[in-house]
Amino acid sequence: MGFTLVAPERPEEACEILASAAPGQVAVLAGGTDLLLDLDSGRSHPDRVLSLRRLPWRSLQWNGPTLTIGSTLPLSEIEVDPVVRARIPGLWDAIHGVGSLQLRHRATLGGNLGRASPTSDLIPMLLALDASVEIVGVQGIRSVPVDEFVLASRSTALRVGELIASISIPEARPSAYVWQRVRPSNDISQVGVAVARASRAPFWRVALGGVTPRPVRLPEAERELRAERPLTPEVVRAAEAAATHAPFATDKRATETYRRQLVGVLVRRAIAMVSAPLDRPVGWA
Amino acid sequence: MIRTDLPAKVSGETLFGMDLGEPGMLWGALVLSPVAHGRLRGLGFAEARAMPGVEAVVGPEETDRLLAGHTGDPERPVFPRDVVAYRGQPLAAVAARTLAQARAAARAVRCEIDPLPIVPDIESVFPEWPGSGAGEHPSVIAHVRAAHGDLEAEFRAAEFVQSETYRTNGVAQVALEPHACLARVEAGRWLVRTSTQSPFSAREDISSILGVAEESVVVEGTWVGGGFGGKAGASVEPYALLLAASTGRPVKLALNYAEEFLIGRSTLPSVVHLESAVRGGRVTGRRARLLLDTGASLPGRDFATGYAIGFLLGPYRVDAFEVEGYAVRTNKPPFGPHRAPFAPQCAFMADSHMDGVARRLGVDPVAFRLVHAWAPGDRTPLGQVVGPFGMIECLQKAGALLATWRKEIPYGGGFGLGVGCGFWSTNAQAGGEAVVRLTPTELVIEQGEREIGSGSVVRGLPAVLERVLHVPAEVVRVSYSDTASAPFDSGVFGSRTVAGLGGAVEKAARGLSAELARRLGSTGVAHLSVDGGGLFATATGSRRPVEELLTPQEIGAGGLRVAGKHYGATGAIDDARVSAGSFYAYTDFTAAAHLALVHVDRETGAVKVLRYAAFHDAGVVIDPPTFRAQVEGGVVMGLGSSLTEETLWSPEGRLLNPSLLDYRIPTLGEVPPIEVHAVPGHLGAGPFGAKGLGEPPIIPVPAAVANAVADATGVRVYEMPLSAERVARALKLLPEGGEER
Ligand SMILES: Cc1cc2nc3c(=O)[nH]c(=O)nc-3n(C[C@H](O)[C@H](O)[C@H](O)COP(=O)(O)OP(=O)(O)OC[C@H]3O[C@@H](n4cnc5c(N)ncnc54)[C@H](O)[C@@H]3O)c2cc1C
Repeated sequence: MGFTLVAPERPEEACEILASAAPGQVAVLAGGTDLLLDLDSGRSHPDRVLSLRRLPWRSLQWNGPTLTIGSTLPLSEIEVDPVVRARIPGLWDAIHGVGSLQLRHRATLGGNLGRASPTSDLIPMLLALDASVEIVGVQGIRSVPVDEFVLASRSTALRVGELIASISIPEARPSAYVWQRVRPSNDISQVGVAVARASRAPFWRVALGGVTPRPVRLPEAERELRAERPLTPEVVRAAEAAATHAPFATDKRATETYRRQLVGVLVRRAIAMVSAPLDRPVGWA
Repeated sequence: MIRTDLPAKVSGETLFGMDLGEPGMLWGALVLSPVAHGRLRGLGFAEARAMPGVEAVVGPEETDRLLAGHTGDPERPVFPRDVVAYRGQPLAAVAARTLAQARAAARAVRCEIDPLPIVPDIESVFPEWPGSGAGEHPSVIAHVRAAHGDLEAEFRAAEFVQSETYRTNGVAQVALEPHACLARVEAGRWLVRTSTQSPFSAREDISSILGVAEESVVVEGTWVGGGFGGKAGASVEPYALLLAASTGRPVKLALNYAEEFLIGRSTLPSVVHLESAVRGGRVTGRRARLLLDTGASLPGRDFATGYAIGFLLGPYRVDAFEVEGYAVRTNKPPFGPHRAPFAPQCAFMADSHMDGVARRLGVDPVAFRLVHAWAPGDRTPLGQVVGPFGMIECLQKAGALLATWRKEIPYGGGFGLGVGCGFWSTNAQAGGEAVVRLTPTELVIEQGEREIGSGSVVRGLPAVLERVLHVPAEVVRVSYSDTASAPFDSGVFGSRTVAGLGGAVEKAARGLSAELARRLGSTGVAHLSVDGGGLFATATGSRRPVEELLTPQEIGAGGLRVAGKHYGATGAIDDARVSAGSFYAYTDFTAAAHLALVHVDRETGAVKVLRYAAFHDAGVVIDPPTFRAQVEGGVVMGLGSSLTEETLWSPEGRLLNPSLLDYRIPTLGEVPPIEVHAVPGHLGAGPFGAKGLGEPPIIPVPAAVANAVADATGVRVYEMPLSAERVARALKLLPEGGEER
């Protein structure tokens, strides 16, 4: 069951390796927090493991209003950046809530998107921030909005020979991410709610994770929020719309009815956190 | 450094059962039943036998051949012959050169099973509370009943009757190290190194399961990566031994974590009905009925039902009572003991109920329990005399701290305080023997157990010796050996290690002290001291180096050996009160009261424990740091079963969450600050008056948390664990009739 580890330094080389291999022959390793589980369970049994460790993708850059995060930068390094925390608080919330600190020292944003888990805590936030994924491949570079990138669990818009190079967030936004888990630490969210306010109308983005086969935006809730600074009735209507229209399912983490209750409460709380940032509760929602 | 085991554990040098290995060894794997109930038509081994690296595949027929001439226990066949009783039941075992080969071959074994209808849970047998005659139901494998006093009269005279139904769910031990062993068969001897809480009872089990003589079985314990009841007696050893017998090679067999959850012998659900007749501010009559899901079987089924049910009456006086319990067989894996088997669940139900009655009466719940709490000399409902017992003092202290905390928390806003009580019985009548060996430079405790993590062996036993002989810890050592050479001891369970085996060490140490005094020309006791690397003995005025007190023969034989035994007393219940099955007499009562401060999110039902305090009637505390660690560990484990831990089963009898991802034990993030208090005043039967402490710390936790949640919200949750979703339902945040998971 052995494999060889390859760690190219240039993106073109990495893409070549992928493009020339048969499906499943090469596994891509970023932090490995998801991949190692797949190797252990036998779901993935590659001949070669392509480590992204040496690629020049561990950067975090502001370019005017736009933030670009390298796909292989460990989450803990994003988390300790004071500018990110101040300017995009929701991204910090979402990242800070992932697993444990040990996990975040290894886990990456690229890996989170690559796994495309329905219970990802980061994808809903990236959706609310209108983020896009920069992809490199043997055929060149392209950029895809996160909404079009994540197709289903373990399924993305990546084509053969392509890798995620970075993730771009077009502007810093007042934002919040709140979640509920059976166990607050190191568990998978029963429901995660991301809210962000754009600088121009339409102002509000509401996205949901942990509930549907892939994280989704909730246009019905967004539509209720017209004003840049909505009043309570608007917020309540948005929360109700979310609880009514979000597609819910029952699984071993929560029932549909409970998820519905959670979504209503958490949407309202997340909007409140964005509208009145000084009232943000510290830590767990 | 008093926990001498810790440096090697921290650095990773310690070898647990999981780490065992030796040259030429094969790896074992079990073939587990893919269905929960069925008729076994046959097993196909041909494909598995032809796979690379496979050295043996052993099923029922091979077992017969390997054990020809031996008759094992028909109640516990190694592999089933006709009926498969639960999903995960071992049907065959494979040995191969690598673990991957063994597992692949185990998967390749063909299991031909005609499925039979299954009994998934208690409700499918008894959708309603069973009437009389339920004891005859084919799914009922044990029935116990006891009563005393005129219960009907109490119910007729009652001012009100509080009637409640509670449910509990299964909890797993979650020892970090799964069951693991390494077996060899040599010259007719069955040798196994294994991670066990009880080498001697493992030996007894192996001998009875395989039908081989006890003298031919040798069990050597390894360091144990946690037991919590799951590693008492034999588990994987018989399979590994059969594979070793079949191949003539050493075979290692270790469960993976999913298997550990499935067949590691976890606890299963229960339904309990409690009814109290209340008059004059007191519970005067109580009816308790228990339905216990015992899975495919239950070792000592009456014992478990009769033992568990005693805890349902709580540590409380009552004029008249009736308790009745049924063990219901289902197609889940067999029920097993989990730290303080079933007592935390019973305390949750009994103490939630008491708290509820107090609230309905509008009286202080702690004061209400003080009215009922057993005092030393009282009789339990089963008629047993309660000996030294500090329930009242623990409750008083918890109540006083509750009053202080009450002033410190904001009123309302979802905060709540709750007290939970529990009692336990140190299983001190199980036997133990130990030898203390004195050399010119050190004292060695020769004994038959292994350290399972609590410190009771590695620290508890030396602490007893140090107290008797006044020696510093540096010159005391614990030695470990196998069942062929170690003195007998019944096991590291039942909270008995310090109280029971420690009693044997105490007696040996006192014997040694008297012998040294005699050699020093005194009739009293002797103490030891260290001077310049050597040991000195002192008794009434005379002091000599130990070297001079030992004979050359003794020095040649490794030192002076003095043995001690401790077989504790058994209590007695009033048999006239028992009308069905058997009940258990407790021994050496211990009490605890815990206090929890919680916050409940009143929109989501999420419960967070913010502060915690534990008061324990522990007799004399032999080693304060170990006491503290043990209570903290028990509280953390109890918080898990209070809030997040439960096994989930499908209607087909499948365990839905056999992983640490979906079965959630607390992490440090969920652990509040914990105050730990020893409440002195009531001596136990252990050395110097010590009482058992292995299990008591987990018992009151779910009750304390549940009562705090009731205090915070005004509503009661009747099912454990108190998941946020259950609390949300109790708070009526979810539409009625919304399905449960
Ligand atoms: C204990 C634990 C707790 C967790 N808690 C959370 C949580 O709270 N919230 C949450 O959202 N997630 C959680 N996760 C999931 C996981 O850690 C994250 O999804 C993480 O971000 C994955 O990143 P990684 O770098 O480790 O990915 P890897 O395991 O290295 O890769 C994951 C997948 O993405 C692919 N991939 C990785 N990088 C790239 C790239 N640059 N281009 C293309 N494909 C790529 C890989 O091929 C692989 O298929 C948890 C995991 C564990 C083990």
